[in-house]
Amino acid sequence: MSEGPALTMADAVWTSAERFVEMTRLVATAPEAPVGQTPKETIWRKNKARLYRYVRATPATRRTPVVLILPLINRAYILDLRPGASFVEHLLAEGHEVFLLDWGIWAPEDRNIDITALVTRYIPRAVREASSVVDAPVTVLGYCIGGALAACYAALGRDEPIANLVLFTTPIDFADAGKFGLWTAKGVFPIDGIRDAYDVVPAGLIQYGAKLLNGPLADMGTFVQLAERMQAPGFDAEAWRSMFRWVNEPTPFPAAAYHQWITEFYQDNKLVRGSLKMDGRPVRLGSITVPFLNVAATADTIAPRPTTQAIMRKVGSADRDEILVEGGHVGIVVGRTAKRDLWPRVTDWLAEHDDR
Amino acid sequence: MTQRDEQQDPFVLWRQWYEANQNAWGKGVADATGTEAFAEMQGKMLESLVAFQKTMRDMSRAGLEALDLPTREDIARLGEIVLGLEEKIDQLPDRLARLERPPTRSGPRSAAKKKTAAKRR
Repeated sequence: MSEGPALTMADAVWTSAERFVEMTRLVATAPEAPVGQTPKETIWRKNKARLYRYVRATPATRRTPVVLILPLINRAYILDLRPGASFVEHLLAEGHEVFLLDWGIWAPEDRNIDITALVTRYIPRAVREASSVVDAPVTVLGYCIGGALAACYAALGRDEPIANLVLFTTPIDFADAGKFGLWTAKGVFPIDGIRDAYDVVPAGLIQYGAKLLNGPLADMGTFVQLAERMQAPGFDAEAWRSMFRWVNEPTPFPAAAYHQWITEFYQDNKLVRGSLKMDGRPVRLGSITVPFLNVAATADTIAPRPTTQAIMRKVGSADRDEILVEGGHVGIVVGRTAKRDLWPRVTDWLAEHDDR
Repeated sequence: MTQRDEQQDPFVLWRQWYEANQNAWGKGVADATGTEAFAEMQGKMLESLVAFQKTMRDMSRAGLEALDLPTREDIARLGEIVLGLEEKIDQLPDRLARLERPPTRSGPRSAAKKKTAAKRR
């Protein structure tokens, strides 16, 4: 390779103009990146929510199926991002039947759907449906807000077909909820005004908060990193496109659910204090007695560590474990290292708790 | 890439600008957004935004009502009625299951047993 004023071979391939065109192509085509490709069938539906059963090529070798409960503010395909980077695919490969509860995209007619409705009328029916299909109690696995809903459901559901409960980066104790806690504090955050102004809280408003957490230059940092990584050997453009698509495809939040989430969870911290009631019934974490696994991230800004660790003290399960992973809220669950650092540990735990 | 090429590469210059700024005031901004003063300021901004949104919504509703056209709320209400019906239908299997479920020990059957036992005595 020649040195000096002549352009090197690498420069010839990667001139600035070419790189700029390639970056633009990646960003512009990200909304069409193929995602959620594992074959599935819809086995239950209610309003916008769908319960998918993933198609297995071979009979399940594990007795306990897994029901995935996703957050309300993101698309459900995050746990089945693309072949080779799909938690669903990993669970199937480990011999589980896998179900996923997709909340869909909320619309104005859903304005009065609150967290209580989701916990008492959506999740129980979906879980019972999954359980009846395979005739076995299930592992309920909730991610982020989905985890908080799953915990409430498990706390209320003494007679529900739950074999195990697993939470991924789930905020439970909001006494020290980081910047989100500060920004949504009583007297500061116009939560009533938001409910009055919107039927569904716009996805952009929620995404604004998430972006603010990472600082004003975070978006630019994404593109600076892309420009760097594009030159690296083995750069996976499809992986980048699918993740970029997911990050930029948030979903709106029903106004009543958002109001309850902010006031009863963030501001009043009722879940940990034991004063949360749903349909008149107290939601007590101590009532959760099934084997329990808590997965938390060390550098989580969305669900900071103080919010994720309290459940280990509060849950009533005698059999309880925790996996603490280096990384952030999304990265540890679906990032490049998740396949190595987290998924096998989770499926090992599930295997240990499979044949009860 | 030689030093000369790097100087000519706008991406390198961009990265250097980003890193310099991120280091210079990224932490400052991160600290500032973690204060109560920022939370209050942001709350006020949001309050103005939602007040504006509500005004726009009320105005558009008034306009549509004046024209005898269905408003967004009318359509949402219709959707809510459908959802309410769906919920009632969903409750049917739950109620049937409750009816079919064998009574618990403290339920009617054990109460009946107690009565029978009392009669025998």
